Amino acid sequence: MFIFNIGYSFYMEILDFDLIILGSGIAGLTAAIHATNASKGQIKIAIVTKLHAMRSHSVSAEGGISGVLYPDETHDSTELHAYDTIKGSDYLADQDAVELLVKNAPTEVRFFDHIGVSWNRDDKSKIQQRAFGGMSIPRTAFAADKTGFFMMRALYDEVSNMKNISIFHEHFAYNLLIDKNKFVGLSVLDLATGSSSIFKAKTAIVATGGASRLYSFTTTAHSTTGDGIALVYKAGLPLKDMEFVQFHPTALVPNGILITEAARGEGGYLLNSKGERFMEKYAKSKMELAPRDIVSRAIITEMKAGNGFKHEESGLGYVNLDLRHLGEKTINERLPMIKEIAQKSIDLDPIKDLLPIRPAAHFTMGGINTDIFGRVLSDENKTPVNGLWAIGECGCVSVHGSNRLGSNSLSQCSVWGRLAGNAVAKYLELNKSFINISKDVVSSEERTIVELLDRKGNTNPYFIKSELQKTMDENLYVYRNKEDMLKARRHIADLKNAFKDIYIQDKGKVFNTNLRDVLEIENLLELAEAVTICAINRKESRGAHAVVEYPNRDDTNWLKHTVIYKTNNGTGISYSPVKITSWKPEPRVY
Amino acid sequence: MKESWVSLPTIYVPMAGIPILLFLYTISVLSGLQLISKIFLTLSMVGLLVFGVSGFRDVYIGSLLKKSTELKRTLKANKEEGQSNIKPTSTGAKLIKFNVKRFNPETQRLEESIYNVETDAFSNVLDGLLKIKAETDPTLSMRYSCRMGICGSCGMVINGKPSLACENNVWENAKNGEISIAPMLGHPLLKDLVTDFDDFFEKHLFVNPYLFRNDLNEKYHPTKQYEQTKEELDKFLPFSYCIMCGLCVDACPVVNTNPEFIGPQALSQAYRYYADSRDEAGEARLEHLDLLKGVWDCEFAASCSDVCPKGVDPAFAIQLLKTEIIKNDLSRNKDIKS
Repeated sequence: MFIFNIGYSFYMEILDFDLIILGSGIAGLTAAIHATNASKGQIKIAIVTKLHAMRSHSVSAEGGISGVLYPDETHDSTELHAYDTIKGSDYLADQDAVELLVKNAPTEVRFFDHIGVSWNRDDKSKIQQRAFGGMSIPRTAFAADKTGFFMMRALYDEVSNMKNISIFHEHFAYNLLIDKNKFVGLSVLDLATGSSSIFKAKTAIVATGGASRLYSFTTTAHSTTGDGIALVYKAGLPLKDMEFVQFHPTALVPNGILITEAARGEGGYLLNSKGERFMEKYAKSKMELAPRDIVSRAIITEMKAGNGFKHEESGLGYVNLDLRHLGEKTINERLPMIKEIAQKSIDLDPIKDLLPIRPAAHFTMGGINTDIFGRVLSDENKTPVNGLWAIGECGCVSVHGSNRLGSNSLSQCSVWGRLAGNAVAKYLELNKSFINISKDVVSSEERTIVELLDRKGNTNPYFIKSELQKTMDENLYVYRNKEDMLKARRHIADLKNAFKDIYIQDKGKVFNTNLRDVLEIENLLELAEAVTICAINRKESRGAHAVVEYPNRDDTNWLKHTVIYKTNNGTGISYSPVKITSWKPEPRVY
Repeated sequence: MKESWVSLPTIYVPMAGIPILLFLYTISVLSGLQLISKIFLTLSMVGLLVFGVSGFRDVYIGSLLKKSTELKRTLKANKEEGQSNIKPTSTGAKLIKFNVKRFNPETQRLEESIYNVETDAFSNVLDGLLKIKAETDPTLSMRYSCRMGICGSCGMVINGKPSLACENNVWENAKNGEISIAPMLGHPLLKDLVTDFDDFFEKHLFVNPYLFRNDLNEKYHPTKQYEQTKEELDKFLPFSYCIMCGLCVDACPVVNTNPEFIGPQALSQAYRYYADSRDEAGEARLEHLDLLKGVWDCEFAASCSDVCPKGVDPAFAIQLLKTEIIKNDLSRNKDIKS
């Protein structure tokens, strides 16, 4: 894209849109499609993405998408799906949001059928569904183990055909402009040319995904640095439930690449160094298909008890995932990608070999504080920011509570993509005016990048990044304790100080990834701090947040969402209640 | 190996016929002799019709597939023989020399930077480059994201072959402790290893890569699922693995000499949607591609299929499109006559 080839020192271009969608994953692209349809193609949409739009991390989603497709034949129901999700969330999910999810998910599976996803089908041409962790009935539709990839390609192809949508590939948003509780615009850096511009719009949907790159051992892409969450946070808006980071039990050692939960859904075993299926001790009825928080804790407990292995090169502990008994046919038909990955990256073949796995950061259950329609809230009292939505992993609606069930994320992204897209179209019918941006704002936005490049520090930003990830890996992993968390907080504060002294060696304009990385690292530092503070604050163990000092769930004091926001001299915390409709909290046994 | 020599004439003799046929066909079309061209086409296809269209497919594609399977088998055998010393079971680190050809946007030239990188048995080329960026030279630019071979970002030329950096182990690719890396020269260059994809995306769009349905209300507000059998699914599934990494276009000798050609990536996706039983665009897709710069510029070098990291086989897809176009043309001629 060479349209906006304007240097730093010149006038900064301002572009107008009806809707900006920040992020091009499943949530963002779905929203673009439905906003277009709901407005009959009348609204002008910009999709702003720091990658090529079809390369968003959603492509890495493997196992499938949940939804009750054939209730009569499978004896499944949306109520059961809701119950599983709420129990899986350790009762922290807002139950009205869960109801919205399960009600709309089946439509979304069919929608993806209609735009070209190659769902695996049975002999009667029905969409097949597989078992997943914490789900009491197989209800996960899948396209081999590349579900996210197929959904992304279908969405990208569909979107690129829509004339009212402009895709700004490789444009990095570095500031969110809000005026009097209304969305105004975004400052955006075009990576290809190095020029900045302001994207002004009546509405915006933030759909930038999670922040699992807070950790170095993670299943997610290098690009998942939580930029959208950080943008909103830095703009003074609150985040919710940031302490809940999901650790996926089965990430390949040593590189952290995801081995889908579907591998266990298809019948895979977890084995410790004694060759035992140790899940029997932790979740007798569900075994390997217990929810992820429980399986991850079990693996760590086994390794601590000396029942794990040690990987020589990386020094990482691990246990084994055994898929050998599934047979060649099942693996080739239903899990081809993990076979390919295991072969290409560590030269092991799941048909013949055991796979070394350990838990890795996988999903950000917390995120931007939104109501159940995805509208961004400016405080804990549910006052929405006009014209701003946050959907998908970056938003916290909250449908996953303290622990997400596998395959609910793809449904979440598509359900709220549709809801937000439709809502924006409706909002725009009533709100037709822009807010003007003052010259002062424009020049200050323009200076941001120039000043960053001119900074004459001594610290290598990549050193800060690796130190940050190490701290998070060590201190805010599956089991947490007070001392470690406080240590992490001090270290992060030091790193934030060190960041003031960074040096960007690349001064070029064209595709300056050194500059982009620094912007990402700044975002990671903000989010790491938020995660740590929220984690220190919550004095109980619930879902993905397991604290050694407080081993039990405490519904009397902690059945509430943490809301964190920036203040003039630090951070503030408040709480918002959990919405409970039909399912009262009860002990969680699998 | 012997067998592949036997099959060579089977591939190349009929293949040679295609360009001649096309040349004559083009001339007759250009000179406005529509009827003659159709008759000519019909007559010249007799040879192929002896086999029947499926026979045509079997001869061409069967030998192509056989050839590539054999090639893979040989490669694998070679790999296994010489692999004992590089199999990632050995511990410790090795210093590998990365010779990186970088495009300098200011001078508009390729310049070489040499880095010594500490790698272990599990390091892939992307790991090596990221290590360089973090520890030695932060100015080095490349695209990357998922590091698991599914996002399509890190296409580059490794030891002369267009490949994904995240899928190639350093030790397996290093020769005498060195590895050479260059940007994909088949795309316009931006900086270092980063190339410009604008043109690539436009070509992808040219083929209308989306599922065409008449009932838009059902498409966007679904109430039921579309019917599709396993067999129907298998017809397009292999072609839907395309991750848009651009390696096939980089490898295509035709695109590199004739930028007008739509190229293997876009055409394989055209076939992917054409072959999908849920698509209702039908032969309109074929007519859209019945152009020189469409399917007919393809000379079946098949280098696209050779470099595709996801096994899409764009060369196969393009030949299938050609067959469908000819079939379609023949059946329409029949309609005119009757």
